[in-house]
This record gives sequence, structure tokens and C-alpha cells, in this order.
Amino acid sequence: MDLATLSITEALQKIEAKEITSLDLVRAAKAHIDKSNADLNIYLEVFADIEEQAKAADALRQAQGKSAHPLLGIPLAIKDNILIEGRRASGASKILENYVASYDATVITKLKEAGAIFLGRVNMDEFAMGGSTENSAFGPTKNPLDTSRVPGGSSGGSAAAVAGQMGQAALGSDTGGSIREPASFCGLVGLKPTYGSVSRSGLMALGSSLDQIGPLTKTVEDAEIIFNVIRGKDVLDSTTIDADTYPAHKTTKKIGVPRHLFVEGVDKDVLERFEESLKKMEAAGYELVDIKLPSAPLALAMYYIIMPAEASSNLARFDGVRYGLARVGDSLLEDYAITKGEGFGPEVRRRIMLGTYVLSAGYYDAYYGKALAAREALAREYRDALLEVDVIATPTAPCPATKIGEKSDPLSMYLMDVFTVPANLTGNPALSVPMGTVARDGKDLPVGLQLTAAHGDEASLFACGKLLG
Amino acid sequence: MAIAELARLKLRDGELENLQKEVSNILDYVGQINAFASADAYTTKSAIRNVLRDDAPRLAGDVMFKKREAILAALPRREGDHNVVRKIIQKDE
Repeated sequence: MDLATLSITEALQKIEAKEITSLDLVRAAKAHIDKSNADLNIYLEVFADIEEQAKAADALRQAQGKSAHPLLGIPLAIKDNILIEGRRASGASKILENYVASYDATVITKLKEAGAIFLGRVNMDEFAMGGSTENSAFGPTKNPLDTSRVPGGSSGGSAAAVAGQMGQAALGSDTGGSIREPASFCGLVGLKPTYGSVSRSGLMALGSSLDQIGPLTKTVEDAEIIFNVIRGKDVLDSTTIDADTYPAHKTTKKIGVPRHLFVEGVDKDVLERFEESLKKMEAAGYELVDIKLPSAPLALAMYYIIMPAEASSNLARFDGVRYGLARVGDSLLEDYAITKGEGFGPEVRRRIMLGTYVLSAGYYDAYYGKALAAREALAREYRDALLEVDVIATPTAPCPATKIGEKSDPLSMYLMDVFTVPANLTGNPALSVPMGTVARDGKDLPVGLQLTAAHGDEASLFACGKLLG
Repeated sequence: MAIAELARLKLRDGELENLQKEVSNILDYVGQINAFASADAYTTKSAIRNVLRDDAPRLAGDVMFKKREAILAALPRREGDHNVVRKIIQKDE
């Protein structure tokens, strides 16, 4: 059998039964990389020491036996915006093309302690800006399930690596759906944890009030395993929360469905898969409840004000003074302007312009101020709804994976995020799980169902998500 | 474009026209936000509290402990342990 197709839990079982080793797993993934990566453009770099990492893990497992960590020796793909000490991390940008990380991201420290193997760094939209991985400075990634289509984004390399059997699981980051949308497009499970539950120390910042790191996996169980390793308070990220920051959710066995949000704009067969999945959950003992989230239709507008505002501030650090690309002009100001102009790709430049505009004097109140007020209202609506239900269910995306080059207009690309941005705006955890396939051009393409739970209540996501597994 | 100057961003030749169109489309879309009745005051401010660490040297066990050389190695223009930067205050001429 092809060991690369195993989930984490399946691989672990075989390792514990001494049927396979971590080295076998790494070689199985590497075989897929050697065969397909040149075409699919998933890994920007495969680390040279993956066999050494695997041998060390196998030796440790022999010493520790059953007490070994479940992730010991499990090969993972890491999004190129997460720092691993001594390795390159470019954010898929020319401005950081040769940047070598000087420290480990906290999630990497935790995964190293668990003994996970890092196969390499995978492609993404530049600085996580996009929903297709077409915005990478190093070329688009193709969807392994249909190579004429995008894998989603911005964590498209992470999703394509797992779907393409080039790693048992992957880490991604999610600012407006960047884990969940690619999970949907590649038939995977993707978790955007509660804001603050996973440290962002060592993650390249996009929108700091929105960003979270999370797993892309083959099963809900696998997502749970990785989440439990990477979560936790961290002195290096002052936004991280304690396990008891949010009150425990009282289970209601109810699922809220905001049908008013998908009266139009969602593909008909995507909605059919959605309704079928709801029936499955109903059959498993959950009650379906119609809910209303009155501010949700404005969520995209809020998001595309707040995110560029934060991005334009965060990206101001790439000025050629301390690291990364540094170009020299006629003055200090010109040094900055040329460095950014050359180093950043078109979508990054666009969002910097947009963010600068909405924050500029005279427009601040009309855009940014308004968006913050609306965000507050949206968060209240989610909080109130999630007192009555365990999870809120929607499709993850309005359609399956699009063709490469199909969404060339930036605004049409932004509209794909309609169901995913609310959880980032409100800080709630959200999970995308596969809900079947829809046919396009003679191919069956996966689509995902999104569950959103109360702050700190990933447990409800995993419980409901497993019903669809 | 004044916004590019504010953003300290040198646009590429011919980029401005397209960008104006795209940004203006996006602004039209996000302008929907004005439909939001802002009777609800923005309340997040009350939740803000100070979480800055003490300004003290990094200790063993800290991820940034002994990372001085790695950070210096990333400097675009390094002389010894110095980061060479452009003079900011220029003489009037």
C-alpha cells in the first residue's frame, strides 16, 4: 500500500505495531514530491535533512515505546510564513526571498518537542493575501485533484501537499478563510482555532486582529491532535488566552443554520451537498434551528476594510533596514519606496494602497471606524446565537475550486470569502469538513461544510465534524 | 497618487491606472458598510489592557536567547556589529 495516503492516526497505529517506521513515511511522501512537485509547485523547498529527522524520530520512538508523543515521526508540510530557525521563510514574497529565520515560531517549538518531522516549506499567496495561491511570487500551485484548478488559498500549498500525499498533515494560517477554503477545495479538514488559542509568535503578520495558525488534515481526529499540540498561552504573543478565558459552552445538541445568507450566490449543487450533510447530523441526534445573523451580509465589507488597514500597517516593517530586500535610491524615503515597490507583488501593493486609503485622514471614520462598530455588532450576534446552538453551519465556500486564471478581477476573488471571514472578525473557532463532491467539466470536485462554535469551544466543532467524517 | 506616497510605495510604470480602477471598485463594494446603523458605539476599547513584558534581557529558555548573531546576520548592510543606515537628518542646502 501507499503509506503516503495514511492519516496521522492510521500511520501512528502502524508505527506502534512496528509495521512501518517514520523513515518509511518520509520516503513515501518524498516519492510523491519527486514525481509531481515540479508540475504542481507545492513545495518551495524540501529540506535536505528529512531522512535524518525521520531516523532520529525512529530512534526516539524505540526508546520511548508507547509513551511517545502521537506526532513523533509524523511528516508535516509547513506554510512558508511560519518561521523555522535556520531555514528560509519567504512568505512567498520576493522581498524575503533569501530570508533565513533567526528563531522558531512557537508552534514550531511545540511541534519539535512533540517530535514531528518538517518535510519543507510550502507555497502560498504572497504574505497570505489571496484565496487561490496564484498570488505567490514563485508561481501558482495546482490542485492535485484537478491540475487545471487552484488549490484555494492562501494556504494552498499546505492543502495541496496533504491532498497530493506529500505529508500526513500541514500547518496553515487563516486570516479570512485561508485554511478553511483550501481545505474545502482539496477535500480536507481545516481548522481556524479561536482567536488567541494558538500563538502567532513567528508567524508573518497579515491582519493581527484576525490571524490564527491551524492544521490542514485528512481527518477531524488529526486536526484535533495537532490543535492540542500547538494551542496554549505564550508569553511571546500577548494575544494568547488561557484555557479558561471563555466560559464552558453548555451543550444544546442544536445546529444553527443562517439560511438567509445563502438565498443567492451559492452553487445549487453545493447547497444540495450542504442540505444532505445537515440531514446526516440530524439523524445523529442534532436539532436544526433556523437562525439570523443580521450583520453577516456586511461581513465582507468589514473584512476588506479592516484586513488591508492592518496589513498596510504590518507590512510597513519591510523597509530594507533590518532584513530582507534592500534597494538604494536617492533619499531615505526613496529607499523605502523602491524596496517595497520592487519587493511586493501586485496584490500586496493593492492591499497596502487600500489600507492606507481607508486609514487616511478624512476617510477613517467612514470606513475603518464604521467597520469596527459593525464588527462589534457581528460578534454580539454570533455570541448570542451560540448560546442557543452548539454550532452554526454554512457551506465553506460558494463553489468548488475555480480554474487557474478564472478569477482575475480582485473583487470577484474577494467575494469567495463570504462565509469564512465572519469567524475571523468575531474570533470564533471554525472548522471546514468535506461534505461530498460536485461535478464540473466531468470531474468530481470536493466541497466543504463550515461549522462555527463559541469562543474556546473547539470541542463542539470536533464532535459535530466527526459526524460527517 | 498621494496614497502611494503615504504608503511609501513606488508604483511600477503603467500600474497606476489599473490600480485606481481596481481600488475604486473595491471601495465601492466596501462602502456598503455605510448601511450599518452605528447607533451601537464601538466598545472594544474598554477591553484593552497592557500586556507588554518588562524591558529585561532575554533569559535562557527564551526563544530569542542568544539570537543576536542570527539577527545581525540578516542586516542588509552590516559593518561589524553595526547596522549601516542612511543619514536621516540632512543638511539644508
